[in-house]
Amino acid sequence: MDARLRRVNKEIADCKNDKSTNINIELIDNSPFHLRGSFEGPEDTPYQGGHFEDIVIPDSYPFQPVKMKFITKVYHPNVSSASGAICLDILKDAWSPVLTLKSTLISLQSLLCSPEPNDPQDAEVAKHYMTSRSSFEETARYWAQVYAGAPGKGKVPKVGAQDAVAIAGLEKAHVDQFEALGFERGKVIDVLRRLNYRGANVASISEDKVVEELLKN
Amino acid sequence: MDMETFSQDPSTTSKGKGKSYEVEYETLSQKLVEELMQADVEHISAIFGVDSATAALLLRHMDWNKDRLIDKFMDNASSVNVAAGVTPASPASSPGPDRSRRSTRTTTKSLKKAEPAPTPQPFVCPICFDDSQVETLALVCGHKFCTGCWGAYVSSKIREEGEHRIICMGENCSVVAPDPFILRALDDDAETAARFQELVVRNFVASNKNLKFCPFPSCTNTVSCPAAASRSTLTTIVPTVVCGADSRHKFCFGCPIEGDHRPVLCAVSKMWLQKCHDDSETANWIKSNTKECSKCQSTIEKNGGCNHMTCKKCKYEFCWVCMGPWVEHGTAWYSCNRFDDKAGVEARDAQSASRASLERYLHYYNRWANHEQSAKLSVELYVKTEKKMEEMQLTTDLTWIEVQFMKKAVDEVEKCRTTLKWTYAMAYYLAKGNEKELFEDNQRDLEKAVEDLSELLESPIEPENIPTLRQKVTDKAVYVSKRNQILLEDTAQGYLEDRWRWNVAVEGFD
Repeated sequence: MDARLRRVNKEIADCKNDKSTNINIELIDNSPFHLRGSFEGPEDTPYQGGHFEDIVIPDSYPFQPVKMKFITKVYHPNVSSASGAICLDILKDAWSPVLTLKSTLISLQSLLCSPEPNDPQDAEVAKHYMTSRSSFEETARYWAQVYAGAPGKGKVPKVGAQDAVAIAGLEKAHVDQFEALGFERGKVIDVLRRLNYRGANVASISEDKVVEELLKN
Repeated sequence: MDMETFSQDPSTTSKGKGKSYEVEYETLSQKLVEELMQADVEHISAIFGVDSATAALLLRHMDWNKDRLIDKFMDNASSVNVAAGVTPASPASSPGPDRSRRSTRTTTKSLKKAEPAPTPQPFVCPICFDDSQVETLALVCGHKFCTGCWGAYVSSKIREEGEHRIICMGENCSVVAPDPFILRALDDDAETAARFQELVVRNFVASNKNLKFCPFPSCTNTVSCPAAASRSTLTTIVPTVVCGADSRHKFCFGCPIEGDHRPVLCAVSKMWLQKCHDDSETANWIKSNTKECSKCQSTIEKNGGCNHMTCKKCKYEFCWVCMGPWVEHGTAWYSCNRFDDKAGVEARDAQSASRASLERYLHYYNRWANHEQSAKLSVELYVKTEKKMEEMQLTTDLTWIEVQFMKKAVDEVEKCRTTLKWTYAMAYYLAKGNEKELFEDNQRDLEKAVEDLSELLESPIEPENIPTLRQKVTDKAVYVSKRNQILLEDTAQGYLEDRWRWNVAVEGFD
């Protein structure tokens, strides 16, 4: 039997048998080389809720790392908020063939506990993290509620124009303020997010600067 | 004094004929480089009393810097051993180089414990989970894996990542596999083993400032040129070298230019090429062909009509000649006698300065481009000359060897055109003065001689005047070659004497 297939089968079986870790791996299209992994976001972090990953086993596995990305949208400095791409050393040059799907997923879980904003995948999210932790966590929690089905206060909000402000991690008052000047709401959100108009930064970015950016495009 | 003569290696096959514009260098085949590498390894192995595989790992870790390695090793041998991956890190000290920056310790069972006593139950490789494998391999750290997995791992590292530093597969283990182990793991995969050897040699050459690979495609030679190893020497020499494989494999040891850029220094050549490529001259064109409205600063190109200009943007009316307001001109600009007007004079000065700068650049650039073009056309000249040579052999009783003078002359022309081409880059950056005049005299003499020879080569062949032509071409070729030498020698001497003055700041000069 092909060593790669044997190894992946064993890894999948190991995950099924191990009930202690809450890590699941499922086959996509009945192929053992394209999988979907899932785990619970760590408790006491903004990431509570179910998170899903897309896993592709390359031909040279386990000598080359698995390709993983988040399917569930995650607001995290080391995860692209657009594509779900993950910045983690063991998925790149620090990969070792003794690492397994399970251990990699556990590493991802722990990445959610301890972000590395100094080595970001998503620079805007990382900036948000650095300027205002509380506002960042609120946004991350909101994303977990919307996308990962984390328990929220009251009803689960639906994604729509209403929530775009919260998804971008901005203050509704700020967005309203610039929208009142006659700019389109989506554009205001875009510009404010790019400028990192949050927390203490609000004081250091003049309104003129924001208007200038808004007029640019 | 005697000591010095002793230390000189009599067996060097160095080239360079002692001319001041040539550097001493040596062509090394891959095999010779391997021997050099081996000598370093054996040297270290003898000093430290370790086997050669270990010495190689230590040297690669220190980028082949023997002195630094000896210093560090004498200072703290065990920490160097750990950092180089010769020995495993002891559990008490910090784990190896950022291997586990963010990874969590997983439940992988410690293999180390099982290692000391041979286990009676069948070995299950933790990579492929196969229990039927009997042959296993382990590095000094004792992490055991089956031979098949080692082979696949090592070959994937070498072939896919181009990595020669292959660390143990064990988690958080930073022990590096020594060469004999790698060759064993690769078993009989000679192709990958050769690739590995190549990667190691590349690492050695890249770490050694005296060595440079021949940049020509599929050439495996290396050139050793200690004279050009440090950057500071590049202000006095132009290290053009030719790899032994082919006379066309001519490149500069000091910069990435693949060719001969003598007599111009590397830093100056780089500036010149950059200037020719970037669009700084576009800005100069705009400056010299357009003027700015003195009121709203819009750029205006005058493409016809009279000198009474009206700015399209701000409707300001002005005189194109003096740039002053039109109202002061009355009805006819011909009476524009405001030459002493300060604002007008300044505007004109600034413009004529940038126009002059463009003209100056174009003067040198056109000549540079012309010689480059001519050098490129030399391929055609070759074909033509070959035809002529055949013709000569048919129409006269000259033998093949006797008509070779034509070919030699073509070679000489091509060589000198390359020199001439670069002299224009040099002249562009030389500051005005007697030195530059002398340089340009040499340049003129060479150029004149080259053009004369070129013309002779193109002239039609009449059977009766072949002997005279032959005499003339041979004489002229010798003269051209001599002029080229004089020019190169004089510039090279000038660098050594610090005689040249530049009109811009040149890297390495104060």
